[in-house]
Amino acid sequence: MPGKSDVMPCGRRTYCGRANCRHTAHCRKLEAQQEQAAAKSGADVHGPAQGRAPRPRPAPSPKKPLARPADVVYLYDGSLPGFYCCVYESVYSHELPLAIWPEDDAPPTLFRQKLIATEQDKAERVRASVPKKISAAALELVETVYLSCLAEKEIAMLRFLLLGYQRGRPVMQMLGHADVAPMLAAQKHLGGEAHLLLGFVRFSDYDGVLGATISPKNFILPFIASHFVSRYAQEDFLIYDKTHKAALIYEQGRQRIVPMEGIVFPKASEAEEAYRAMWKQFYNTISIEARENPRCRMTHMPKRYWENMLEVQDLL
Amino acid sequence: MDLMDKLTILADGAKYDAACTSSGADRPGGGGLGSTIAAGCCHSFSADGRCVSLLKVLMSNNCIYDCKYCVNRSSNDIARTSFTPEELAELTIEFYRRNYIEGLFLSSGVLRNPDYTMEQMIRALEIIRYKYDFWGYIHAKTIPGASPDLIWRLGLVADRLSVNIELPSEDSLSRLAPAKTRKAILRPMAQIAAGRQQNTRELAHYKHAPTFAGAGQATQMIIGASPESDYSILRLAEGLYGRYELKRVFYSAYIPVVEDSLLPSVETKPPLLREHRLYQADFLLRQYRFVADEILSEEAPNFNPYLDPKCNWAIHNMHLFPVDVNTASQATLLRVPGIGPLSAKRIVAARKTGRLGMPELKKIGVVLKRAQYFITTADNPTGLHTGREATVRALIDPGVYSAGMEQLSLFGPPGMGLPALPGPGDVATVAQAAEEVVACLAKAM
Ligand code: SF4
Repeated sequence: MPGKSDVMPCGRRTYCGRANCRHTAHCRKLEAQQEQAAAKSGADVHGPAQGRAPRPRPAPSPKKPLARPADVVYLYDGSLPGFYCCVYESVYSHELPLAIWPEDDAPPTLFRQKLIATEQDKAERVRASVPKKISAAALELVETVYLSCLAEKEIAMLRFLLLGYQRGRPVMQMLGHADVAPMLAAQKHLGGEAHLLLGFVRFSDYDGVLGATISPKNFILPFIASHFVSRYAQEDFLIYDKTHKAALIYEQGRQRIVPMEGIVFPKASEAEEAYRAMWKQFYNTISIEARENPRCRMTHMPKRYWENMLEVQDLL
Repeated sequence: MDLMDKLTILADGAKYDAACTSSGADRPGGGGLGSTIAAGCCHSFSADGRCVSLLKVLMSNNCIYDCKYCVNRSSNDIARTSFTPEELAELTIEFYRRNYIEGLFLSSGVLRNPDYTMEQMIRALEIIRYKYDFWGYIHAKTIPGASPDLIWRLGLVADRLSVNIELPSEDSLSRLAPAKTRKAILRPMAQIAAGRQQNTRELAHYKHAPTFAGAGQATQMIIGASPESDYSILRLAEGLYGRYELKRVFYSAYIPVVEDSLLPSVETKPPLLREHRLYQADFLLRQYRFVADEILSEEAPNFNPYLDPKCNWAIHNMHLFPVDVNTASQATLLRVPGIGPLSAKRIVAARKTGRLGMPELKKIGVVLKRAQYFITTADNPTGLHTGREATVRALIDPGVYSAGMEQLSLFGPPGMGLPALPGPGDVATVAQAAEEVVACLAKAM
């Protein structure tokens, strides 16, 4: 990819990369002038790479970004390996796309679009580079945000990775950085929702099998699985995620998460109805009238969870 | 009487108990049913906004004692019933299977005599633990006057035990709960603390020694039924934390249940704001390394209704501020209003990669609205100089004017010459009172 024929404006082959090298500084200036001239004459200096090999890069200096903003939109297949291939593309063509969208629900756009094919070995290479060049926590962060409901999460993940490649391990400490903070916030949001759901899931007993429906904003099934598996080690259960059309199934000691279009639970038995009624009764009994505070209830238990919660769904 | 009716009556009798968290035990499932998580887990929130985590019920409300402040007292004319151990066990397990609850909080009125009641409770818990192989959370309240070996047996099946101190002083106890004495309450508390220490040593030697009250012990006291000052309550709590290694002290605002010359009248609103301040101060003791004497004193024995205890401490110690967020120790940062344990930790981590200014602090989660008056930052090296009044105004707890106002201390003026809280909905008075408070506090700074 990097063209060997490409030379520096002064005629030398490559940059030496030393920060205080006068030669390099001189060439950078020349380069900038050339770019300006080109921009004036209407030529697109960052334009499509076709036919023109990218300039050889100077050794990474901490200030210069790995990729420059480009008027292009990446479309990918929506999978995690697919996303890693977008990272690969961005790094190797030195461009920071405007957006990365799953091709299935990409809005129409006038910008140039690049369809990024998913190739397992590329994806593997990118994935392996994250713990090596940044940290294991960074990989976990990226893969968690991938499951979150953050708007335009792919581009946030890419920006974070590009920054991480430059800064290395300390990037996880840059809590205030504009490319880090939204990632941490999304992770926290997902973690918070997963924690809430640990409590808010309501099972019914269908002839020995426990079944529940949830409708969370984030895809939290992978994060709550181990809790419920440990809690119901001897039971068989199923949690259906209505939002993401998937189910966590635990059967005879084995768990899996599978896509599922919809689900119809059987009619509740008499005993089941009795326990439901007793739970509602208990719930209504323990509230202390003198302390009634519906606002407080709502902050702790946002209304969007109520539809699947036996004791409050009638209040909706 | 069917199970539904029993549940209704026995949940109703237990609802005033404040101690209802499932935290403190971290035990993955052991192959049976259930597990516990250290952070605790709320399964729902009732209409009063409180976390519903445990099935909180009484074994029996058929109490032989006559504590004045209690709905279950023998002289009260209410329906009486008791669970059988089997009923309670099955109910707990079926609720737990459906993920309604995180475990059981079991308390009881004194049925026949203390030891009989304890035996019933132990029986129920043993069925839950051994027959159903239940690994979830159980919190049990010991019955005052029960024999030590029953307390030991209860601790073997419960994660947490509690002995309720009930009222903040011996004096109030003898007035309102004549059947109970301070000594009789502290004895099991000491027994549990000693039992836990011994158990820890045993566990270190034999892995399979039975665990005794693994999640520690807690207690609860009723606030506002008797005349103790906030200072004496806080000192008591501090002493209990130190002496008996309590995990938590719970404060329960007294809700008048009966007209009695010894008690506040039934019209009295529960002192929720006072309870709130006590929890805030308690948190300062446990998480912020404060001591009670820093928070309140003989001279100012009651909480400031307008300021949370930390802000109150800060404005009386302005000579310690501002502190530099880029160099101050974590302990010092913890003392700044608007900085909590988590943000203090994050500041120490984040400043390793660069000096921190206001925008970074904001992203870290510092409440700048309060903190800004007490810190210097990279982009503001000398701190904010806005005068005392602005500082005080920013610190005033907005919750103080919200609905359901009550007088903070039933038996004394709020202290510091502050005006009394205005009645709810009285807008002109509220604004006026706020200004008076600001002026008054600024003067005291
Ligand atoms: S012993 Fe307990 S249940 Fe009985 S009256 Fe006193 S406080 Fe109430």
